[in-house]
Amino acid sequence: MVCESCGELVDAGSSPTPFAVFGLEPSFALDPALLRARLLELARRVHPDFFGGETARRRELAEQASAQLNAAHQLLADEVRRADWLVTDLGGPRESEERAMPAEFLQEVLEWNEAIEEARESQPGSAERARLDPLGAGLDEERALRMREIAEKLSPLPARRSPALAETRKVLNAVRYLDRARREIRELRLALPSG
Amino acid sequence: MPFVELNVVQESDREILGIDLGTTYSLVALWRDGRPTILRPRGRPDGRIPSAVSFPADGGPLVGWTARDRAATDPGSTLLSVKRFMGRGLEDSRDDLASVPFPVSATPNGVIQFDVRGRRWTPQELSALILAEVWRTASTALGKDAPRRAVITVPAYFDDAQRQATRDAARIAGLDVARIVNEPTAASLAYGLDQRRSGLVAVYDFGGGTFDVSILSIEGGVFRVLATAGDTHLGGDDLDRELVALALEEARPPAELAGDPAFLQGLRLAAERCKLELTLRPRAELRAASPERRFTWKREIAREEFEERIHPLVQRTLDCCTRALADADVTVDRIDEVVLVGGSTRIPAVRAAVERFFRRKPHQELNPDEVVALGAAVQAHVLGGGTRDLLLLDVTPLSLGLETMGGAVSKIIVRNSPVPTQATETFTTYADDQTGIDFHVVQGERELAQDCRTLGRFKLKGIPPMPAGMPRVAVRFALDADGILTVTAREESTGAEASIDVQPMNGLDDDEVERMLRESFEHARADFERSRAANLKVELGTMLRAVEKNLPPTRARLDRESLADLEQAVEGARRAQAGDDVHALQSARDVLEHAGQPLAALLMDEVARSALQGRKLSEV
Repeated sequence: MVCESCGELVDAGSSPTPFAVFGLEPSFALDPALLRARLLELARRVHPDFFGGETARRRELAEQASAQLNAAHQLLADEVRRADWLVTDLGGPRESEERAMPAEFLQEVLEWNEAIEEARESQPGSAERARLDPLGAGLDEERALRMREIAEKLSPLPARRSPALAETRKVLNAVRYLDRARREIRELRLALPSG
Repeated sequence: MPFVELNVVQESDREILGIDLGTTYSLVALWRDGRPTILRPRGRPDGRIPSAVSFPADGGPLVGWTARDRAATDPGSTLLSVKRFMGRGLEDSRDDLASVPFPVSATPNGVIQFDVRGRRWTPQELSALILAEVWRTASTALGKDAPRRAVITVPAYFDDAQRQATRDAARIAGLDVARIVNEPTAASLAYGLDQRRSGLVAVYDFGGGTFDVSILSIEGGVFRVLATAGDTHLGGDDLDRELVALALEEARPPAELAGDPAFLQGLRLAAERCKLELTLRPRAELRAASPERRFTWKREIAREEFEERIHPLVQRTLDCCTRALADADVTVDRIDEVVLVGGSTRIPAVRAAVERFFRRKPHQELNPDEVVALGAAVQAHVLGGGTRDLLLLDVTPLSLGLETMGGAVSKIIVRNSPVPTQATETFTTYADDQTGIDFHVVQGERELAQDCRTLGRFKLKGIPPMPAGMPRVAVRFALDADGILTVTAREESTGAEASIDVQPMNGLDDDEVERMLRESFEHARADFERSRAANLKVELGTMLRAVEKNLPPTRARLDRESLADLEQAVEGARRAQAGDDVHALQSARDVLEHAGQPLAALLMDEVARSALQGRKLSEV
């Protein structure tokens, strides 16, 4: 979106890859500090605030480049979305095409869902609510484990359409379940009126 | 020979105003001499302009202090807190409409209208009157026409409809909106600028009508909002309403009085006064009175009692803080600074609650009323090309999505996404040979579309007949830096396209804005002439008084021709003074000034002559 040699805005087309926006080679491992530094640097070059007095065309380009930059950052900064994008980009199954989860996982899902439902139906301060604390901690641990598994499967990046991609997808599905449960637990612990 | 084009851009062409269009007060600021400055006309140290509009029976709308003063003496013709109706429908606004002294209706698209003696006013037009007054105030302070470009602030939690309504109001007022900026973010700019801070900042903005909290990370001049939360119907007005409710419970006015908007408006102002006094003193008086109906009630309110009544509302603001911290994924102990914004943060109980919640003393170096306008002027300075050292990266407060089968919402852009942003999602048909798809664009956090706010509906047509699930329809949401949405849909096999500039429910379309803009210009011209006529009359009066005082003792010494001219000019001035014709007034003034010169000359004796050389008749 920015010409590297002259700093001029360039129309990058409608859909540069998120890695291309940041001038990075696709990879799962990504240094968050580097990503943030690149975001601030690029934002300083393309943000529409700095194109106020310029032509409509350049203002539009700046708006588009900033939107692409922000969308790309949102994706790359989130390790689950980053893994999801890599699996799909390498020709692996999409979430809608491979819904399976690791075999041992299902029983766990049923158990924690039950605990969350019991907590939801109980008052804040009750024993059922208190049980959310160890459950949440357990799920955090499990998620960290699963993410390490994904990192191993994606580093180095597998070949296009390799069977490892379908395996990664299954673990990602598990992580999504974990994240949904963790979000619900977080909401219940915040105990705020929904909204 | 190279051709050199001189491109002289005057400083004033690049200047952009920063306007805080508030619920109860508005302010305007401009970057001057290296810093943001509130524009205050001479002799008015308080730069605030009440966001009030009054419609006296004998004339056109009054705005600002004159309108605010009339709210007490003539509550039946004055509108306060117009901002609470922006981008809202009748259903949303029941509580606020109770103290509106005019009949209300809605346009077919749900825009509220106030019927003032036969002329209907939308909230956008009323806000435009306030913005025009703000611009006039800026011009008076500057001694010349103020810039027409402006950064205008809105509550961070304003949705698309409320943002568009604000932009439309500015257009109707003849202003060019350089950017819509969120109030707490603007406030952080005003603070960060002086202090060159870095770290995590929480901005707690409790204003007249709205509450926002934003969590920002400041790093190397980049102000990045991590999360924002709030309530666009939680402000000082709601605190006043607690006292109004208390008065109504205890005073038990007769039913016809309790339903009388003028009585309620008066009570509302009394409640506000009581609240302000309780900030300074432990006890204050609350009065409810209607002289016409010989009804009076008063009682002393203790600060503790007031605090107890507003406690649930303060708790709601703290819930928003909890939400914002969770969304920003930071814990309260990581917050480095807390900034207070908005008049309601003057209330001791509010300050104490914020301090307890964030476990640190909030900043209060800047006036909480002025900090938003100052920040708007900083952002205006950036947009005008004045600096590249500062950059604001803001977020959208509410998720945006589409209704899917079964009434659920598919979120396309989630809340707290940085703006500008874009996202595309692919949808398909659910019936064989379906050639069109209806889209229902919604904003909000709830799971069901019916619980979210409708931004608009549109239809994509021209899909070729295919089995269900075959067409691929890409829907693209683009959110600009003002937080305003554009949606396009495209069927990928045929290229059939449909787009909407989302014209939200409770919003105006372009034609309506155009018409209001024209009407406001016509009004503005009439208003301008009226005020010039008034000024000329005052000037003529001063000149005539000078003649009346000085002519009798000197008349014998004046030559006959000059005397005849002067007497004729005086008569002409008196005639013109009786009318309202600007041109007649202007020429009468000029004639009188000219005819008065021999008299003025006579009045100067030899000694005074040199000192008074060149002075006008009215100054002698």
